[in-house]
Amino acid sequence: MRKTMRDRGLFWSPAPDWTTARIDGDAYSVRRVLGLGQALVSGDLDAALAELMPAAPEISLWSVAAAEPFAVRIGRDRTLLVSPGPLAAAPGWRNGYVATPCDDAYAILEISGVALREIVAEGTSVDINAGSRSAAVLFAGVTVLLYRIGPETARLHVEAPLAAYLWAWLEGRS
Amino acid sequence: MQLFSCPFCGERDETEFTFCAEAGKTRPEPAAEVSADAWARYLHFDHNPKGATREVWLHATCGEFFLMERDTVSHAVSGSHSLRRPEA
Repeated sequence: MRKTMRDRGLFWSPAPDWTTARIDGDAYSVRRVLGLGQALVSGDLDAALAELMPAAPEISLWSVAAAEPFAVRIGRDRTLLVSPGPLAAAPGWRNGYVATPCDDAYAILEISGVALREIVAEGTSVDINAGSRSAAVLFAGVTVLLYRIGPETARLHVEAPLAAYLWAWLEGRS
Repeated sequence: MQLFSCPFCGERDETEFTFCAEAGKTRPEPAAEVSADAWARYLHFDHNPKGATREVWLHATCGEFFLMERDTVSHAVSGSHSLRRPEA
């Protein structure tokens, strides 16, 4: 059959099978974390946390989140709630904030190993030792939320359509 | 690489920031009475000073709009201020 249009699908990085995909590089490994609940919150963050996730810690750039649930700070008025499962947050404005369930909007890539700091240094120019209130940072050219869940394990939340690109970038350095 | 300071996040790479406008530009109102010339001046004409300037920038990763004071010749940044009142 004669092609009448360019197939742009071939232009993009192919998405791996996320249920089994794994990168085993030199002193590090990468996998996609599936099944966590995520909800974007904008507005009065104190009110939102008190109602949706009381006592959940706020996680900033490179800080360590011990276990879900927690709130990853994005900006002055915006945070991402991360929970062990889907969060029962009704969408819409109330009490000065809006919560938007977005379990599948962000892909979560988890990087583990002693090479973690080296990978982060390649991906972003931010000084992780200086700290920053927002976990949002440019990594390999795309905006991600970057924090740790252990001394040598970090998570990147990236918009789902960009996950295949970021995966290819991480594979390319192995 | 140059570091800019976001009032919320602190120092970040310049690539995370986007210029928005010269500070102090006031949108002409009321819209129904604004001439095409006045609207074009507002949209497209800047003072573009040589030396010290005050500009509105966006820190794209966190979404913070803020006022930056810098020098267009030396590129030195002398201050970053939140646009919130009171400054948070």
